[in-house]
Amino acid sequence: QQIEEDLNKQLFDNLVSFLRRSHSEFQEKTTEWNCRMKSREIPTAALVLGVNVTDHDLTFKSLSEVLQNRVTPYVALLQAKDCPGIKNLMQKLLGQLMNCYVDVDSEEDDYVQTSQNRIRCSMTSLITWYESVTKKTDFETPSKKRTSSRHWQSPPVVVIFKDMESFTTKVLQDFIVISSQHIHELPLVLVFGIATSPMIIHGLLPHSVSSLLCIELFQSLSCKEHLSTIIDKVLLTTQFPLKLSEKVLQVLINIFLYHDFSVQNFIKGFQLCIVEHFYTQPLSVLCCHQEEVKKRINSLSHNQCENIRRLPSFRRYVENQTSEKQIALLTTDGFLKETVQKLLEDLNVYHENYFPVLRCLHVFTSSLPKYPLGKQIRELHCACLENRVWETEEYESFLQLARMLNKCDLVTMLQKCVEILVSSPGKEFDKTVEKLKEFLTQFQKLEAEACQERDESVSSQKELQKKTDLYHLQKTLLELKESRRSKKLTKFEMLRFEVVDYIDSVVRNYLVPADHKTLHEIVYFNTASVLREHLNAAPRVALHTALNNPYSYLKSQALRSDGGSISNKAPDICIVYKLHLECGRLINLVDWLEAFSTVVTAVEGPNADAPSSDQVDDVIHARFIRAVSELELLGFIKPSKQKTDHVARLTWGGC
Amino acid sequence: KKATKKKDKMSNLVEEYFEAHSTSKVLTSDRTLQKLRKRRLNQQTLHDLLEKSPLAYAAEIEELNQQYESLFSKWMLQLHLGFNIVLYGLGSKHDLLEKFRISMLQDTVHLVVNGYFPSITVRSILNSITEEVLDHIGTFRSPLDQLEFIIKRFKEDSSLELYVLIHNLDSQMLRGERSQQILAQLSSLPSVYLIASIDHINAPLMWDQAKQSLYNWLWYETTTFSPYMEETSYENSLLVQQSGSLALSSLMHVLRSLTLNARGIFRLLAQYQLENKDNPSYPGLSFQDFYQQCREAFLVNSDLTLRAQLTEFRDHKLIRTKRGADGVEYLLIPVDDSTLTDFLEKEDEDV
Repeated sequence: QQIEEDLNKQLFDNLVSFLRRSHSEFQEKTTEWNCRMKSREIPTAALVLGVNVTDHDLTFKSLSEVLQNRVTPYVALLQAKDCPGIKNLMQKLLGQLMNCYVDVDSEEDDYVQTSQNRIRCSMTSLITWYESVTKKTDFETPSKKRTSSRHWQSPPVVVIFKDMESFTTKVLQDFIVISSQHIHELPLVLVFGIATSPMIIHGLLPHSVSSLLCIELFQSLSCKEHLSTIIDKVLLTTQFPLKLSEKVLQVLINIFLYHDFSVQNFIKGFQLCIVEHFYTQPLSVLCCHQEEVKKRINSLSHNQCENIRRLPSFRRYVENQTSEKQIALLTTDGFLKETVQKLLEDLNVYHENYFPVLRCLHVFTSSLPKYPLGKQIRELHCACLENRVWETEEYESFLQLARMLNKCDLVTMLQKCVEILVSSPGKEFDKTVEKLKEFLTQFQKLEAEACQERDESVSSQKELQKKTDLYHLQKTLLELKESRRSKKLTKFEMLRFEVVDYIDSVVRNYLVPADHKTLHEIVYFNTASVLREHLNAAPRVALHTALNNPYSYLKSQALRSDGGSISNKAPDICIVYKLHLECGRLINLVDWLEAFSTVVTAVEGPNADAPSSDQVDDVIHARFIRAVSELELLGFIKPSKQKTDHVARLTWGGC
Repeated sequence: KKATKKKDKMSNLVEEYFEAHSTSKVLTSDRTLQKLRKRRLNQQTLHDLLEKSPLAYAAEIEELNQQYESLFSKWMLQLHLGFNIVLYGLGSKHDLLEKFRISMLQDTVHLVVNGYFPSITVRSILNSITEEVLDHIGTFRSPLDQLEFIIKRFKEDSSLELYVLIHNLDSQMLRGERSQQILAQLSSLPSVYLIASIDHINAPLMWDQAKQSLYNWLWYETTTFSPYMEETSYENSLLVQQSGSLALSSLMHVLRSLTLNARGIFRLLAQYQLENKDNPSYPGLSFQDFYQQCREAFLVNSDLTLRAQLTEFRDHKLIRTKRGADGVEYLLIPVDDSTLTDFLEKEDEDV
């Protein structure tokens, strides 16, 4: 558990720092702009942030931090839910601003003052409030001026409205009008966080109010870019020992793309993967960095060794060994430990090779038209994890496209890729295979040749222009032809290069993990169903199956029946539910009760001779009441006033 | 191919919806419970009767429960990692949560909220936190302030831990937007661990994206099939006798104690109301008409005596007066027609 938390923390830190970084540029722009703005209107920055509301918290938090660190402004964050009325808004705003002072200056007496202020502000009634607030603003202004003279010349007070859409129009308008009247004494800067589009400002504010603002738009990065960079930085490195299998990654990406666009939720899903992996997989202790593996392997108990032996991929490995080695592996723990260590090292090496080559391939594929293997690196990653990539049709078409695209600009592009690759092995990995270097020289040679070629052709063309008599023309044309042939050859050479490149790197490094690597279970988390169940549950479906087919939960032979017909042995609520499915919009309670009692007495008829029919009737009646009120609780029906003793159905069809 | 199939299914669903709602006329039989010649059960007898009938498939249900109980330690781990747990599925999850509480939370500070209890409010939840967990005596102006105070205290003191168990988070009282918002913010505190259960099919509708991320749910399906005893005991069902409405027995009881003339007056009103029962715009009998009829039947001799009589009826909630659009007083008996018919039949027998 300790390790787990460590890992979690590590991961989180990385993500957060990354998010920060991605925002920082955008924030800097805003900050700069904030410093610059000093005009008669209220300067306003509208940040268009996209629909993923959940991620914005972090953005705003870091934004206010950045703003505060530059000492220029005092920052207040307002949320719509805190400000149902203008009174609450002012209260909140003053409270936050005062606290800001305290935070920045950390003076004791200031704090006392602020608390008094707040209480006074809250206690004044709504009518007298206007006067008091002006007084307060008056009071506040000199104090601010006083402090400001120490720091800066009149730092602006920044008010951030986190969720512009959910503010009430009235409150917002009032606030803007009020603050615009005090803009001389109190330089305010407003920041609106907008989830939809900047049109909302004009929708929310009438012209008379929006003319008081001086709005500038800022666009934040789209969440998709965030996602791809997060995947790029977190999943596609060797830094984190835990990896996700293709299906899991697919589920996470699907939730992101089709449901909420929230990076936060993606991270949450990833976190759940980590928890689940370390909780369920007993061998996940070995999922750590290379230096620690050795220590942990040595401390493995006998039971854990048995667990290793039970892994399907390990069994496959054992089967491929010679018989005496097999025996050794299956019986002696010591030998097993040695092999496991070796295997894990192999796995690590495999990963180290995998990611740079993946990136390399991505550079190639992403520059092709139509993106046969996907535009984003995550798609490529998924494709590689899912199957043997070189067997797929897409890969085939990719090769074909690559062969056709042999022009000079491709060469330059190749060179660019090489540059990227040069920088990556030097910085990130100590490459075990010296392959890349080899590629490099090949590419360089190619480039040189291509240059030479170009020179030649240029010179020949110049010659062509110079000499115009027939003989020379013929000669030069022949030369040209020859040179073209030779060009073809070099083109072919390039093609061959590529083919060699691909076959070599792909076949060696892009093997499906589950297929080939032993002990991949330790490092890969691959139960996608768990994830789907816990993150993206469907309570309605669960209820329906439970009511429709109770056998799937209660494993009793009596309940096994074909779908459709009403089994009379099912629990009461299931019978009632099935009967209710046959009805239209309104249900007559009497008929329903009668149908229920027929079904139920059909069960009891044979085995019990009805001690007294009245008694049985009462019991059935009571059971019916219970079942109906349960259905009401579940929201399938509701009492209706349209007709006496009827209930209305709230679902339709066969559910 | 799959897409078209899905589309087919989709359009089917839509068609089914419109089919169900196309005709305003509903074809059901006109039978009512009154005609069933059966006394209505009240809460107590219902409970007794249900006690008698054995629970079906007890063994299987037990097995299911066992399965869920094995998840308890996992839940604890996940709660500590900042997730909150929500249970869904058919059947009451009350016992399961109770077991969880007993087995895991014995020596921790925990709070159990019975969402199905009809008079529960967010304020009472917050109050119990501030008063009993934080030992703070004092009132707050609004729940928001209270929440702020709680958040501040929990942030300051990292040793404070609180487990909150909410049965039926989707109950009538807690499903409002504001209460959900407050609960969500509470649950987002790192040292508050929330585990809740939902039952309503449309329960997830009450959370938008922001709340969902505050709640940070992990969904667990726990279909228990156990009956909703506690939960439905507060649910006012149609089939259970309501104490609020006037029943035949009480009607008879009151009228037995009146004079003959008074009974006659009531009878007259009842008969008139039954004659007009098919007229939906029937406003009731106006006082003047009623006085006229009573005089003709020699039941009253003056305006004043009738008024006195009607006051007595009103005190017993036997009649209701309503002022019409023209300012005239109309008299109505607030009892459903079938009860009234029964009453008249009984009266005829007596006489």
